[in-house]
Formats: sequence, C-alpha cells, structure tokens
Amino acid sequence: MTAEATAPEATAAGPSTAAAAPPSDLLPTATGRRAARVVGRYARERPGLAVAALAVSIASAAAGLIAPAVLGALVDAVAEGGSIGGFLLALAGAALLAALLTGLAAVAVSRLGETLLARVREAVVARVLHLHTATLDRVRPGDLLSRVGDDVARVSESVTTGLPEVINAALAVLLTLLGLGVLDWRLAVAGLLALPAYVLALRWYLPRSAPMYARERLVVAERADGLLGAVQGAETIRAYARSGPHAAEVARRSAVARDVGVGVFRLYTDFGWRMNRSEFVGLAAVLGIGFLLVRGGGATVGEVTTAALLFHRLFGPLGTLLFSFDEVQAAGAALVRLVGVVDLPDTEVPAQRPDGSHRPAVELRGIGHAYGDGPPVLADVDLRLAPGERVALVGASGAGKTTLAAVLAGALDPTAGEVLVDGVPAAGLPGRGLRDVVALVSQEVHVFAGTLADDLRLARPDATDDDVEAALRLVGARWVAALPGGTATLVGEGGTALTPAQAQQVALARLVLADPPIAVLDEATAEAGSSGARELEEGAFAATAGRTTLVVAHRLTQAVRADRVVVLHAGRVVEEGTHADLVAAGGRYATLWTAWRGR
Amino acid sequence: MATGDVPALAIALLATGLLFVVLSQAYRFGARAVVAAWWEETHLLRVELTERVLDPRGLTDPPASGELLSTATSDTDRVGRVLEAASLVVAGTAALVVAAASLLVVHVPLGVAVLVGAPLLVGALQLLAPLLTRRTAAQQEDVARTAGLATDLVQGVRALRGIGAEDAATERYRRTSGTALASTLHAARAVGVYRGVTTLGSGLFLAGVAGFAGALAFDGELSIGELVTVVGLAQFVAEPIGLLGFAGQKFAEARASAARIAEVLARPVLTSGGAARTPGGEGRLELRAVTTGPLTGLSLTAAPGELLGVVAPDPRDAEALVALVAGRVAAEEVRGEVLVDGVDARDLDPAAARRAVLVEPHAVVLFEGTVRTAVDPTGAASDERFAAAVTAAAADDVLTGHPDGERRAIADRGRTLSGGQRQRIALARALLTDPPVLVLHDPTTAVDAVTEEAIAAGLAALRRGRTTVLVTSSPALLGRCGRVLLIDGGRVVAEGTHAELSAADAYRTAVLR
Repeated sequence: MTAEATAPEATAAGPSTAAAAPPSDLLPTATGRRAARVVGRYARERPGLAVAALAVSIASAAAGLIAPAVLGALVDAVAEGGSIGGFLLALAGAALLAALLTGLAAVAVSRLGETLLARVREAVVARVLHLHTATLDRVRPGDLLSRVGDDVARVSESVTTGLPEVINAALAVLLTLLGLGVLDWRLAVAGLLALPAYVLALRWYLPRSAPMYARERLVVAERADGLLGAVQGAETIRAYARSGPHAAEVARRSAVARDVGVGVFRLYTDFGWRMNRSEFVGLAAVLGIGFLLVRGGGATVGEVTTAALLFHRLFGPLGTLLFSFDEVQAAGAALVRLVGVVDLPDTEVPAQRPDGSHRPAVELRGIGHAYGDGPPVLADVDLRLAPGERVALVGASGAGKTTLAAVLAGALDPTAGEVLVDGVPAAGLPGRGLRDVVALVSQEVHVFAGTLADDLRLARPDATDDDVEAALRLVGARWVAALPGGTATLVGEGGTALTPAQAQQVALARLVLADPPIAVLDEATAEAGSSGARELEEGAFAATAGRTTLVVAHRLTQAVRADRVVVLHAGRVVEEGTHADLVAAGGRYATLWTAWRGR
Repeated sequence: MATGDVPALAIALLATGLLFVVLSQAYRFGARAVVAAWWEETHLLRVELTERVLDPRGLTDPPASGELLSTATSDTDRVGRVLEAASLVVAGTAALVVAAASLLVVHVPLGVAVLVGAPLLVGALQLLAPLLTRRTAAQQEDVARTAGLATDLVQGVRALRGIGAEDAATERYRRTSGTALASTLHAARAVGVYRGVTTLGSGLFLAGVAGFAGALAFDGELSIGELVTVVGLAQFVAEPIGLLGFAGQKFAEARASAARIAEVLARPVLTSGGAARTPGGEGRLELRAVTTGPLTGLSLTAAPGELLGVVAPDPRDAEALVALVAGRVAAEEVRGEVLVDGVDARDLDPAAARRAVLVEPHAVVLFEGTVRTAVDPTGAASDERFAAAVTAAAADDVLTGHPDGERRAIADRGRTLSGGQRQRIALARALLTDPPVLVLHDPTTAVDAVTEEAIAAGLAALRRGRTTVLVTSSPALLGRCGRVLLIDGGRVVAEGTHAELSAADAYRTAVLR
C-alpha cells in the first residue's frame, strides 16, 4: 500500500527551508498519482455522489449555452423581419433551466468534494494519533501540526470555494468550444487560434510564479513568527532592554514580506497582460473569420454574433482556470502531504483493557539505550517492581530518568534488554503490549479544549458524571467547584486557562479514570510552585495508590514516601534502598537529602 | 449595416485591439500602484504597532497576545484594503457612467430601463445575502472547530498516548468532522439556491432586455448593430454594480479594523520615566514604604554584592514585588519609593533602569535562534563567559545532549525544549547578562533536586560580589543566601539566615516541601 509513497521530502516548504531540517524529520509525501488513486477509491465508495455531480455539472454548463444561441437566432430573426415571441419564451425557459441546474450542480459538487474531504481529514487525524511512538519522536512537531492544520485547511478551502468554480469553468470552456464547433467548425477553429497564446502565457507564468508564491508563504510565515515572538515575549524583551533590535527585526521581516508581495502581484499583472493579448487574438480571429464567412455566405450575421458572444463568454471561465492554477497547485501539494500520512503503514492493533484489580510485577532486565549514534543514556539497568510497589527514581537532569520511564511505559524500545510483566516478556503480551497495562503521566501536560468532563472522558469514554467528579476529588482538584460551570466549564485553548498545577491534576484524574495496573509518573509535579507542588504530590499519591508505580521524583518528599528509592547516575543505578537506609548509608542520596532540606 | 466592408472590419479590429491594449495596460499599472501602496500602508501600520507593543516604557493594560497578533496581521490587512476598495469605487463608477452613456445614446427609454432594472436586480439578490452569511458563518465556525480539535489533539498526543486514549480521541474527531460536514452541506444548499436565483434573475433580465430591444429593432427603431450592443451592455452592467456593493462591504470591515488598531496605538504608556542614568552601577536596590496591590508599606534593601532571599508564602505578594521592581506597575499606582543606587526609579530612563536591574520573568520566553543566541542575545560574550553561565545554570546537558551543541536551534519560542531546560537556559541568559542587580523569581521550579543543588552552588559562585535577589521558597537556594526576608500581609515580618528563620513555624511552613 505504501509502494508509491516516496521518500519524505520538503516540497511544500519551499527551497529556502531545505537547510532548516534534515528530511528524516518529516512525514512522507505521496506522489500525485497515488493521491489521485486514493481520492478515486474514496469516490468509488460513493458512486452515486460522483455520477450525480458529474452529470448535473455537464447539464448545467450545457444549459448556459442556450441563451447565446437563442440571442443569435433572435438577431437573425429580427434581421429577416420575423417574429421574436418564441425566442423570448425560449430565453425565459433557458434561464429557468440554467438556474435549476446551476443550483443543483453547486450542491452536488459540494456534496461530493466535502464528503471526500471529510473522509481524508478523518483518516489523516486517525493515522497521526496512532503513529508509532518512535516516528512521533523523530518527526518535527511543526510537520505534524501543519499536516492536520494548514494542509487540511488549504485543501478544504479549495474544495469549498475553488473546486465548484474550477469544475464549472472547465466544463464551460469545453462545452463553449463544442458549441462553437456545432455552430460552424471554422468558427471553432478560429476560437482555437487563441489556444497557443494561452499556452505560451501559462508557460511563461507558471515556472516564475511557483517559487515566488512559495517564497511569499515563507516570508509571511516568518513575519507572523516575528510578530508572535515580539508580542508574547514583550515583557522579556523589555526586561533585557532589547526593544530596539526586536522591533527592527519585525520591521525587516515585514518589509521583506512587502517586497515579495509586491513582486508577486507584479508578476500576476504581467500574466494578466499576456492573458488579455490571447483573448484579443481569439476574438479578432472569430470576428475576422466570421466576417469572411458572412461575406462568402457561409454564415449568417446571427451565427457570428452567437460565436462572438460565446467566445466572449470564454474569457471568464478561462481566466478562472488559468488564475486558479496556483491555487490548484498549492491544494495539490497539500493533498499529497495528506495522502502521504494516510498511506503510512497501520501497525496499530486494538487496545485491550486489562483486568483493573490485578497488580502485576514489572521487571526491567539489562536495559541499555542510546539515541541514534549518540552516547549510551542507559546502561545495564536491572530493576524489579513488586506488585503494588511504589518506587521513586532520583537523579540529575540527563541521568536517564525520563528515558527509563519511557522504556517502562512502552513508549520507547530500548536498544538492549527487555521488560517483563509478571515474568512475560513485553513482546509476548496481548494487544498493544506494555502500553495496555502501563499509563504514563509526563511533564508535557496538555489540557484538551472543550469541557473539563470531555477532557477526562478521553481516558474512559463511558465514565459517568459521578466517575468524573470522583476522580477529580481523589486527586485533590478542589478548584473545580469554583469554576463557573463545574466540570461542564470550557477549558484549554479558548476556554478557562488552568494553571500548570491544575493541568497536572487533570492529567492525574485521567490516570484515575484510565485505571491502569501500572503507573509511571515522570516529573508530574515539576511545573508548580512549592505550595502547589505539595498538593500535587498528594494527588499523585492518591491517584497511584495500590498500583505498581514508578515515580520520577523531582522533590525528595516523593522519595520519602516511596517503598524504595533508586538513584540513577549517568545511566546506571548507583544506589537503591529505602529512604532511611540511603540517608543512613551517607552516600550520594544522603548528600542530596541534606541539600534538599537546606543547611 | 453594410456587411462585407473589409476596411471597416480592419478599423473595427484595430480599434478593439487598441482598446484591449489601453484597458490591459491601465489595469496592469494602476493595480500595481494600488497594491504597492496597500503593502506599504500595512507594513507601516505593522511596524508602528510592534514599536508600540515593545515600547520600553511599557503598555497600560496590554491586550492578550492572540488578539494583538490578529490586530497586527488581519486588521492591518483589512485597513490596507481600503485602497483597493477605493480603486474599485472609481473603476465601478467609471464603468457605470460609460455603460449608461452608451445605452442612452442608443435609445433613451431602453437605457433608462436597463439602468433602473440592473441595480434593482442586484439589490433584490442582496436580500438573499443574510441567509448566505448566516449559514456560511455557522459553517466556518464548525470547520474552524474541527481544525482546532485536530491541532489540539495532536498537540496533546503524548498525553493521549500515556493513558491509551488514541481511539477515544479519534472517535471524537470523527464526530466533530461529521458535524462540520453536515453544516458545510447545509451552507452548500444555501449557496446553491443563491447561485440558482442569481442565474434566473440575470437570465430573465436578459430576456426582458432582448425582448424590449428586439421589438424596437423589429419596428426599425434600432439597427442590428445597436441590438447586439444593447444585449451585450445589459449583460455587462450588473458587474460594476456588484463591484460597488463589494467595495461598501470592504469599507465597513476596514472601519472596524481601523478602530481596533487605533485603540491599541492609543493606549497610554505605563511609565513615562525620566532622563536620569544610574550614577555608579554599584547595585543597591531599595524599597521604602511601598504600597501597591497587596503590598502594604514594604521596605527592604538589597545592599551591593548581597545575595538576598525573599520568601512570600502568598504568591500575590511575590508577583507584586517582582512586577514592581521590573517596572511593570504604573507609577501612579505606587506609593512610596523604589530607589536604584539611590535614584528614584521614576526619574530613570526606562531602558537604563532595565539595564541596572534585570528581572527575569518566571514565565520563560526564549528568543528564537540557537542555544548560543538565546543565552547571549547581544552576541557580545566570550566563549569562556558563555560556558561559565551555562555551567552555573546547570544547563550543559541542553548543549551536550544534542549533536548541534551550542548551535542547537531554538524554535517556536523554546517549545522544543522541556520546561526544566527552558528554565535553565533563561537562567543562564540572566547570569550572562551580568546586571548590577539581578532579580530571579522561582528560578528552579521545573528542575529536579540534584540539579537544583548544582544551580544553587553555581549561582552563588558566579554572582559573588554582585547584588542578587532570589524570590523563592526553595531551601536549596535560600540556604545559600546571606540574609532572608519573610514577607507576609504585604510587608517584611521576619529577617535572618535560612537556618535562623527555620526555627519559626511560619517560615518552616512556607519553605517546607
């Protein structure tokens, strides 16, 4: 299925960002053909929609041709002194028919495009949320976000506003040329004389415009970044008396964006001039040939009038088509990035909820790890957690605590050694292995936008309101009572902002609802000030009570309350025992404890 | 009409060609001038807004950053579009006048009918606009919600991972996406109706004009050429009328945007400051009976070269003290005096005051670039001083743990680093700046106990002989301070070393872990 997904490449980012990151940091991009095939497959799943959209669009474009034809006939009739009543009825009827079909076509095309778009975006988000953790670590966060954000938005905008117009325009051009041909093939040939001029204009424009538009997107993004940095960092900028340089940098980026923007428009107007020239060539040819035909008796004045009107009608749709080339290219570039994600291999197996009451033993055996070609982060770590035991992991930044926690949580495959649950190697566990039995609460807290209850229900979708409130109570989140709507209050982005400590309590409440047999807490109390940290510690203690638990302890009070303390130094276990034992032993931990309490 | 006149054809084609050239070139250069003016105008507005936001004198009641960002991007864009709208008004009016004149020349009653009928038609179609706007707004809202949800879930993907909630999150997105699809299709039906009605209206209008003109031509009042002209003009005349409506809408949007920009630019500065420079830069910070916010008559002195600890059990006291010293409180809201090296801070030039007293905000913001430029924004420090500051802040692992070392990129205002790494890099930056007075607010909340001890040692050593105020409750840091003040109820209630104060219950509770 991934045979046609090419190696990751920075196509949409433009040439000048190529140096910013190695390609391995990006998710794959599909080929155009592959993208077309995937979209085609989705379309075939809804054959009715596709056929209806196509049929109604063609009929609507055809109906648009009736009026010019009737007008031409009317001109002939007047010239010959005939009656015009029938023509007026035909005009009214044509208007009615065209109106009906235009409306239906707009709806049908939207229905098809939007349904396909929804399928694609759902598939992309599902795949990104289920990415292998190793992939997640490797890929730049910006790339992930732009796939589900900007890329979806760009395709979506094209589908909603551009697609119906482009389809209408393409069909209008085709059918108008056909209409010219039906009228008189010589007039159609005259109209086609404009074609080479159009092609030349396009071939002049496209190679110049693509890099310029890419550059415009880039410099506008840089400008937004500079502005955001200045706005969000205003306080720090003032503290360091750096207002001048920062304002100058924003002004510089804004000026670059201005110059590029003006340049892009300059190119656009040059293209417009070439388009107008092509239009004139075509119109002059139709009028000239028509003149010769009329003089030679090969056509009537009315026919030539119709031909000129028809040709004039081409200007609009042709302009739409040619000027939307960039738009189509940009949407295409975004679409292949989406399909690249959809095409990633799906190795995910369904989760299996373990028996909540059983407390397993976990054993780390000979664990060693290194990131890429880097130095070893962990070496020869042996650690056994008895059922229901609470172990605190202590060590300096860079000692390997977070790596060890990730290994135990199944978020990282170590380069050496294995993890056993109740004596069974993790590879032999059912479902998703370790990840089904271990929950990990890390320092990267995130409050999901929506109501507080919805956030918590991510951990257990069938949780009742009582479950949700009980979980919050258990972790000591008393502030919930003070929220305007209780657990129905909107939180996260766009809602009530929670403090880092409150966000950590929410994460702990999620852990309570997920109810895993094994819990790993990494820096779960790190972000709070000291009074908040104490409350958080209580919450963490309550949330993990009875579970087999590994706590990465920033605060030594967490170590005091643990059944056992393990001191990690440079990737190795250097001390191990109860808090009292280690303090009495007078080693590294004892020194630390003295410092922690303050002299 | 004489058919078959070759010179007439040549002249007509030549004239048409000339018309094409004139129109096309007029658009080409006219539009260019308008767009260049538009970009320049938005650029100038943006620069002015940025300078206002970063004004060293501060901004009273600054708006939320998201709001400011949208003012600096979308609002400036919309205001700039006034120029475009103005050119549309000129073009639309000119086109209308020419079309009207041509029609009236051909036939007065017919011209009047077209000129009255076309605006009536465009106006009638506008009656449908509210329906369209309403549905489109609802649809855009739903689509935006879907996009927001996707971004939100992906940003929290690790939290989802940790508790195995990927499937629940996927299901939630699918539901929201379905809702957005339904509302998009709902809006599409309104668009369909609008397009249909527009097509019907213009079709019937054309039929009417053709009938009127055809009858006149039938009666010989119009020539065939005039008939063709009238039908063509009738098709054309709706376009400039639409343009005028469009321009009106742009003007309305621009007015609202201009009001928002003016509102930001009109905000008063926080403190006008004086022109005085600090005399010696010896580093004495003194507060005399200061009352502002929760502070009630707070007096304290940080002597030159002192390492002073400040413990405030109520976080509002700590925040008020730090904001005051950082110059973030309007002068008229403060009673009492803040003296820097004996000079009233209100008389100091704002930038000079910041250079004399550096307050590193607790909410860390790192400047983009590399680790090196984040720690040393001016680029003036030697390698030795850079390394010393990084080591004192125990931030070596940020460099050594990455293949690019000190050239490691810091993107997205430091969000690629962990909270602890950000905090230590900001501390290294403050230490490298080496100000006469350095005020740090809870500088080690996101680091572990081992690292905190290393920071306490490194900080005390590097700041020896320079004035440093630590607003913290960390015993590791307070243990290094020569003197510690306990603030309660907005004033100093106890003073001594960490060891001496630890005997008091109030103090122990505040720093107990």
